[in-house]
Amino acid sequence: MTLVIAGLLAILSITGLGVVLTRDPRRQTLAMAANGLVLSALFLALQAPDVAFSEIVIGSAALPLFFFVALSSLRADREHK
Amino acid sequence: MSIFPYLAAAWLFLIGLYGVVTSRDYVYLIGCLTVIQSATYVLLLAVGYKLGAGAPIFADHPPGTPAVDPVVQALVLTDIVVGAAVTALLLSLALQLQKHRGTIDPDELKPTQD
Amino acid sequence: MSRHIRSVAFVVMALILVPFIVAGLSGLPAFGNYPGPYGDIINAIGTPVRHITNMVTGVNYDFRGLDTLGEEFILFASVTGIVMLLRGARGEAKSADALRIEHRRREGRSEAVMGAGRLLAPITLLYGIYVVLHAQITPGGGFQGGVIVFGAVLLAYLGEGYSVWRHVAHSTVLDLTEALGAGIYVIGGLIPMFFGARYLQNILPLGETKTITSGGLIPIINFGVGLAVAAGFLSIALELLEETRATGGDGS
Repeated sequence: MTLVIAGLLAILSITGLGVVLTRDPRRQTLAMAANGLVLSALFLALQAPDVAFSEIVIGSAALPLFFFVALSSLRADREHK
Repeated sequence: MSIFPYLAAAWLFLIGLYGVVTSRDYVYLIGCLTVIQSATYVLLLAVGYKLGAGAPIFADHPPGTPAVDPVVQALVLTDIVVGAAVTALLLSLALQLQKHRGTIDPDELKPTQD
Repeated sequence: MSRHIRSVAFVVMALILVPFIVAGLSGLPAFGNYPGPYGDIINAIGTPVRHITNMVTGVNYDFRGLDTLGEEFILFASVTGIVMLLRGARGEAKSADALRIEHRRREGRSEAVMGAGRLLAPITLLYGIYVVLHAQITPGGGFQGGVIVFGAVLLAYLGEGYSVWRHVAHSTVLDLTEALGAGIYVIGGLIPMFFGARYLQNILPLGETKTITSGGLIPIINFGVGLAVAAGFLSIALELLEETRATGGDGS
């Protein structure tokens, strides 16, 4: 097992823990984006370029957008009440 | 330590599950679900890996060279895209929950008594 | 049960389960020694039998095409569910117009973000279309290229602002495009049946390796998936963005 893959797996364990330990949803979204970036680097190291394509766009553009927009509607609804 | 990738996948699964169990907010719970999903991706791709092999794309070298397994990659890449759509569906369910019940705290959302 | 009891019970159960997990995982083949024959067979026969060089696309749309049809329809059902939940609550009659909120507090938009969005959107769109079309030659495909096109249209939203962007990402056009993409997949699978073959069997002329028209039925299905994924994700983003303008101002 090469050093690159072992190093990326170790960093992934730490960023995954970071996503779970961040209780505020808005900060958790940024932790999820970092997790997605490390995940796509790991997929590239495991010789899977197609999977890395999908994960980069989804993990750093699509999912943070959905989460931020949903949180903004939730906050507006809470203030309206 | 050749089961290290599988242990990393199991670790991600367990801490994601811990986040789901002790969540105080439904949007936080949906974020922990994405961690659980990424654990399955790591496990699948680690099963199909061959040391010293290249990607299963043969555009610039002949098809005899050693390459990793393409079947698990096909599974994972459709899974990532569809998983994002299902996450968006869960987020819109949380939005509707906020509109109708006024809170998204799982502990306060007991089934209605009427 | 209260949250404290729940978390303690979880930790106890996880500690009991960990030896079983480790025992199960050590039964898997060691990392790096993939033994199974199926992957090696597909790597060996992809180019002579189907004239493609991207084996992952071959598995997705040809060797296991029926499974990808199921995944495609999971995406379709999720998008339908989101649209029904969010647009249904607002009413279908004026779904094509952007909601306007009077006297809404607006922060100014940064000119750097607008400039970057306007510059990068066409380049990313072109790259996304390239990735969709070269599915069977280089890393790419309908799913990957579809989300890259979605990213390009989001960059256009950053560059232009919401009400102008709604004219580009028109909700009726997106609904039709997504249905067209899913329909191309299903009906493209019916084409072999007119010639006496099975559903989704690849009997169209295979073309030369490393050209866009190689692979028979694969480029057609792949294009359908690209359309459906891009339009589906844009519908989701549109409904969620529209939802931020629906709460508050007009009392709904």
